[in-house]
Amino acid sequence: MIEVRKLEKVYPPVVGGLLSHNEVRALRGVSLSISDGGALSIIGESGCGKTTFGRILAGLESYSGGDIAMDGIALNSLPNNERQPYFRRIQLIHQDPYTALNPSHTILHAMAVPLRIQAKLQKKNDDWVLKRSKELLAMVGLDPVGTLYKYPHALSGGQRQRVVIARALTVDPKVLVADEAVSMIDVSMRLSILNLLSDLRVRLGIGIVFITHDVAAARYIAKDGALCVLYRGEVVEYGQTDEIIVRPVHPYTQAMLSAMPVLRGLEEAGPDRYIPLEGMDDFEGEGPGCLFAPRCRHATTLCQEQHPDLVPWDDRLSSSSHHHACFYPIPRNVVARPINRENAL
Amino acid sequence: MGADLKVIGNADQDAQVECQIRDLTVTFTTDSGEFPALNHVNLDIIKSKITAIVGESGSGKSTLGLAILNGVAFPGKVTEGSVDFAEHGNVLKLRGKALRHFRGPVVGTVFQASQNAMNPLARVGKQILDLGRSHHYKDPRKLLHEAENLARRMAMDPSRVLTAYPHQLSGGMRQRMGIIMALVLKPKVLLLDEPTTALDLLTQSAVLEIIRSIHRERHLTTILITHDMGVVAEISDYIVVMYAGRVVEQGSTHETLRDPRHPYTRAILRAIPRLTGDLNRARPLEGSPPDLTQIPATGCVFRSRCSYRVPQCDLVAPILESVDTGHFVACHQEGLIRD
Repeated sequence: MIEVRKLEKVYPPVVGGLLSHNEVRALRGVSLSISDGGALSIIGESGCGKTTFGRILAGLESYSGGDIAMDGIALNSLPNNERQPYFRRIQLIHQDPYTALNPSHTILHAMAVPLRIQAKLQKKNDDWVLKRSKELLAMVGLDPVGTLYKYPHALSGGQRQRVVIARALTVDPKVLVADEAVSMIDVSMRLSILNLLSDLRVRLGIGIVFITHDVAAARYIAKDGALCVLYRGEVVEYGQTDEIIVRPVHPYTQAMLSAMPVLRGLEEAGPDRYIPLEGMDDFEGEGPGCLFAPRCRHATTLCQEQHPDLVPWDDRLSSSSHHHACFYPIPRNVVARPINRENAL
Repeated sequence: MGADLKVIGNADQDAQVECQIRDLTVTFTTDSGEFPALNHVNLDIIKSKITAIVGESGSGKSTLGLAILNGVAFPGKVTEGSVDFAEHGNVLKLRGKALRHFRGPVVGTVFQASQNAMNPLARVGKQILDLGRSHHYKDPRKLLHEAENLARRMAMDPSRVLTAYPHQLSGGMRQRMGIIMALVLKPKVLLLDEPTTALDLLTQSAVLEIIRSIHRERHLTTILITHDMGVVAEISDYIVVMYAGRVVEQGSTHETLRDPRHPYTRAILRAIPRLTGDLNRARPLEGSPPDLTQIPATGCVFRSRCSYRVPQCDLVAPILESVDTGHFVACHQEGLIRD
């Protein structure tokens, strides 16, 4: 069980020079929990802080406020050197499998480096390293003998991503954080990588945090888990995946879901679907009110002046986990529905 | 010039062909041999419609886009075929000045990653004036006026964006500027190569909406090259599915998505997770995307990943045949493919 409480991340301002910028608040008090072997999908646009969240979880980035607790142990209470074994339980899978592997080393080398450290810790010999490499490659659906001595350039994008996943498994993680793990992979290969992640969850009891802007992939991974919508470093809606997709109450979630393309001929658009033409430019400024208010077509003066907190959505049809941060929560039906016909795919 | 282009088997009686591609073959010569990036592609691009060319990496879709502009560069070479435009004849025969007057004023192009294609050291407005000068545009004020109109049309403040440097604009705005630069010379054909790939979901849907409305307003013939079936389904009228340098299926988007006939089209549609409906219906497609160096010389290019494979597929390459009015499929087993 991993609990994230009021996590904050502030990138300090840079003054002067070409790269000067103001303070960036990447995360503004994000609270989430990931149960053992559970699945959580985080969706949001670029710049919403979803990648920062994943990097902090994996221990690659420090945080400015809040706390992370793993199995009840608050990491803030530990000295730095004792935190490391906890962060090792969470492994990050990067977006780009083309740059995640060193082109001048074989796959065996990529697998053996972390495995040798494990071998030392577990007092195993070199044969174990080779055996374990083969085991893990087989587990991610690759041919171990054929792959081990290849260089990354000889593998396709999908195969490379499998190697990256196998490498993450070398340290026996409890949670895999997949940051846009399929967005650079060919369409025909995406589903099999998503299936692999779900399969690892079932077989090894590994929790999955799936970070993406593709809502359909998020749903596929977290079909029995939770969906979290981030906007500018804040959770704006959270709940059971299908509930959020079918009955979103926050206007930002509704905008994201409306933006998903409709497969015309197979699906029909939801009755409340709305695509704004403006409002897609960056809004840097922030007032005291709701961060989404400048882009929201339902915003009122209340939204400009006060900041909505994340509160439970109490409605007869909703479950207790459904939370939102909006003064005027109204469920809208925006997603496409499949057209029923006999010869359906 | 002015070849009379005939429409072959289109459901729409009034359809006119803007661009006719016949037997187009593009070969890449490398140290390890010659590889066909495009193999005898036949295609009619219908006037005033949006035609989407869809395929995975290695399908030859971007090479096809370049060939339409007569822009295939070394080590690639057009070895066969023709690209005929209604009033310009075979584009592949154009050279020098004639070719320069074709690219831009006739076919406006937004290339892949064009949001990074602008000169970072010049203001956007100046780059538009440069464009006009290199095409001998007589009246620069008229050109800027046109750019301002387009910017307003795309929900941007013209006085801000035209005086800005590219780095002062967001990714979505730069992408829209790319479309403005393609349209400012008033071409009749708009060629878009992966116009929304690097964009956020909300920006993508807005850009698609803009492409759709401008297409309608100006009666453009739009060619959209993409790997994203969702984008295709959202805006196109016709779809051309490519695999390993061949057209495997083409037809009206609505009909093709409703009743896909080629095993590849069916498999790829099934491999896309959906927002609603039964998730267990999604099935991954086995095997790897086509590798140009390993495309078999004989037989069907898709057979190694196909579940309908028969011995004939190893020997004879299927040709694109009409299965319905305006719906073409290249598959030996087409009649048998049903659930």
